[in-house]
Amino acid sequence: MHPVLGNWKGSLLYLGAWIPLGAMLGLLISTAGHLNFLDTVAVIVPVDIVLAFVCLSPWYVCRALPLRSTDAVRLIGQHLLAAMVVSAAVVFLARIVAEGLSNVRPGLDQRIGAAYPVLAAMIAMIYLLSIAMHYMVIEAQTSRRSELLAREAQLRALKAQVNPHFLFNSLNSISALTANDPLRAREMCVQLADFLRTSLRLGERAAIPFSEEMALTRMYLSVEQVRFGQKLQISVDVEPACGDCEVPALVIQPLVENAVKHGIALLAQGGEILMLGRIVDEGLRFVIENPYDPLAPSSRSGIGLANVRQRLEARYGKNARLDVEASSDVYRVTVIVPMRNA
Amino acid sequence: MRAVIADDEELARRVLREFLEKEPGMEIVTECANGFEAVKAVAEYKPDVLFLDVQMPKLDGFEVLELIDRQVAVIFVTAFDQYAMRAFDAAAVDYLLKPFGESRFRTALEKIKRRTGEIRPAELSTELKASVRLPGEYLERIVVKDGAKIHVIPAGKLDFAEAQDDYVALHSEGKTWLKQQTIASLESALHPKRFVRIHRGFLVNIERIARIEPNTKDTWIAVLSDGTRIPVSRGGYTRFQSLIGQ
Repeated sequence: MHPVLGNWKGSLLYLGAWIPLGAMLGLLISTAGHLNFLDTVAVIVPVDIVLAFVCLSPWYVCRALPLRSTDAVRLIGQHLLAAMVVSAAVVFLARIVAEGLSNVRPGLDQRIGAAYPVLAAMIAMIYLLSIAMHYMVIEAQTSRRSELLAREAQLRALKAQVNPHFLFNSLNSISALTANDPLRAREMCVQLADFLRTSLRLGERAAIPFSEEMALTRMYLSVEQVRFGQKLQISVDVEPACGDCEVPALVIQPLVENAVKHGIALLAQGGEILMLGRIVDEGLRFVIENPYDPLAPSSRSGIGLANVRQRLEARYGKNARLDVEASSDVYRVTVIVPMRNA
Repeated sequence: MRAVIADDEELARRVLREFLEKEPGMEIVTECANGFEAVKAVAEYKPDVLFLDVQMPKLDGFEVLELIDRQVAVIFVTAFDQYAMRAFDAAAVDYLLKPFGESRFRTALEKIKRRTGEIRPAELSTELKASVRLPGEYLERIVVKDGAKIHVIPAGKLDFAEAQDDYVALHSEGKTWLKQQTIASLESALHPKRFVRIHRGFLVNIERIARIEPNTKDTWIAVLSDGTRIPVSRGGYTRFQSLIGQ
């Protein structure tokens, strides 16, 4: 569909723009042909209306001859030819109108003859201008579309990102265990592999059942529990009904990772991460609570949150929420997603 | 050689311990699980080398570096931080990337042995901290050592800083702490919209300024909310004016 005719507002605006253009054309032919006001109006109104519609036609031509991939000579040749044809056709129309009107307004067809060259030139110019504008519209649409695609790709990349810090620290733990606890080292290798495999698999999907996201989160935590030992305690209380609710893939696990990285890991004594899942009126409500050191520098913790917030908004708009509350020593993140069964 | 290990993860300390125990003439004097302990251990045991994790509770590795004897050789141990790695390379600081093997560990240790007795430049840790900060990120807290005690001053609680030769005197909540740092490097680390250098020797928390009074033709006096009077130079007055948008 044509971008202007696609909506009534655009169409009205477009037709409105033709009023001054028509007035200008009228002024030109009345000067060139020494026509009076009525004669001018009688000829220019039908010409103006036809031209307005003809100038929409480049939409199809321009799309058939894209700027980037069309040979320049061919491009210019085609459009010039079209402009000449349009100009000749519209001038011909003006002539028919003038001849038709010569019964009521004697001599009009004679006098207007002097205005044909300037009318033809103006019409060709207007038509060429409309071609240029159509190319601009097409260009703007393409760039907007590629921007959207780029954003989608970026979101996908963000989602699939496994935190390298976590990965290398886990490998270091495995390296430590190999010397005197090879069995636990092997166990941790398997846990890490399970987590990586699952997060890669889930990362390919847009939305997954909450139960799968929770399973991934538990895999992540089991690796971290080897690393942090007694420092990291976990408490999970999730209503069974939450399991079937659909959530965007990899939104919960990064939030729990934040709770470990910026909360528990920076406390000398460690602490407990509390997870609470409930079905409420708005949908699924999931709360992550962890103790934290209010004096610890908070740099870079916002990136993960912003990413999750962006993805929730992209999928659910205002129906999803991500709230962050920080009291003097407890950090609480609440996620609410509308109930949709996966 | 005497070594101290500072890492909050037991398993990470275990790797270092394992490698260090194999080294002849090497003794582990103590192990620490957070930044406070690390600073205290260095003061108490005066080791030759400190293995220092970057991300730790209480104080991070850079803050520990600020507070310890500049003669102790430091080997940073970190998992992955592209900013930190770039900073280490730039400052020629020794570091180990987790996980590391025994040969890489030996190389670092040999380098340290050759360097014994070297004294680190005073500004090294400030520079390191500055280079790992992202643009638009500023210091959220300042750490100072007072004898055996360590104080953490949140940036918002710093009233003003005063240059005193090689030191800055930090005034916060009615107390004064001395720290070896130039006022210029402190200024560049703090948020430029929250702290203003009203004089060559004074950096002031803008929220503490109650009023500015004219003094002589080209100087002013800033009166803080607690009544403290601080000189304002002509340049400082211009900076203050542009900051509050007048």
